[in-house]
Amino acid sequence: MLSRVVFAAAATAAPCLKNTAVLGSRVLQATRAFHTGQPCPTPVPPLPEYGGKVRLGLIPEEFFQYLYPKTGVTGPYMLGTGLSLYCLSKEIYVITPETISTIAVVGLMVYVIKKYGASIGEFIDKLNEQKIAQLEEVKQASIKQIQDASDGEKTQQALVQKHHYIFDVQRNNIAMALEVTYRERLHRVYKEVKNRLDYHISMQDMIRRKEQEHMIDWVEKQVVQSISAQQEKETITKCIQDLKLLTKKAQAQPVM
Amino acid sequence: MASLVPLKEKKLMEVKLGELPSWILMRDFTPKGIAGAFQRGYDRYYNKYINVRKGSISGVNMILAAYVLFSYCISYKELRSEEA
Repeated sequence: MLSRVVFAAAATAAPCLKNTAVLGSRVLQATRAFHTGQPCPTPVPPLPEYGGKVRLGLIPEEFFQYLYPKTGVTGPYMLGTGLSLYCLSKEIYVITPETISTIAVVGLMVYVIKKYGASIGEFIDKLNEQKIAQLEEVKQASIKQIQDASDGEKTQQALVQKHHYIFDVQRNNIAMALEVTYRERLHRVYKEVKNRLDYHISMQDMIRRKEQEHMIDWVEKQVVQSISAQQEKETITKCIQDLKLLTKKAQAQPVM
Repeated sequence: MASLVPLKEKKLMEVKLGELPSWILMRDFTPKGIAGAFQRGYDRYYNKYINVRKGSISGVNMILAAYVLFSYCISYKELRSEEA
């Protein structure tokens, strides 16, 4: 739809573009301009209300008006009378048995038309009006449909103007999600690295402890091995002597 | 004759009597022209007397009267001979 607006603007700016048959059907469709002429203001004149006036049901009014300046009002009637008498007397019109039936039929027709003409006319007018009302309804429905469609288009266009709100919210959401995943991963990396480092530390601690224990055990074993039996006896007797001395001292002291 | 409008485009009522033969000869007598003339006549009568909101019986009545007259003219000779 927008492309059509663009090309209509281009067509008004450069009228030569309107009629150039450009090579390539794709481009041809793009440069043809639609609805560039002025719409016709009164496309169809409405039906006239009454037909041309006719006198005596046979002779159009124009004849009487044509003779009025020369002969006045009664001219055409006198002409008619004179002509009919002439035809009768000169036997241009022959009186046959059919004449009587003609007069009867014509008289009957005149009577019927005079009596029932108006009511039949109204009846047919009503039928006509129904038809016209139907067509009018269709036209109004079509107009309303197109009006609704154009209103819908306008509201859609107005809505499209507000889309940038939705896009802002979405952009914010995505930015937040990105930030969250980034921080999450950062934390995981930190945890993993710390894990590895803790492992190495605990390995070192364990090794040092094991070495200490091993060394202590080894030293103890060596010491125990180095104490020969004789040395052990000497040490024990010395300890007993020391203990005896100490008990003496201890007994002496609380008495004081 | 000095005429302001060229002869061909005048209507019948505006043609002067002396110009009538030349006017008649100037008309279009091809089949298309004759058909066009009949169509024009029909359209004029139809749009004046029949194609209206409140048409009267005179629209049909004039056609019937013209038909009656025409058929009387056709059978005139026979009527004359029969009467004599």
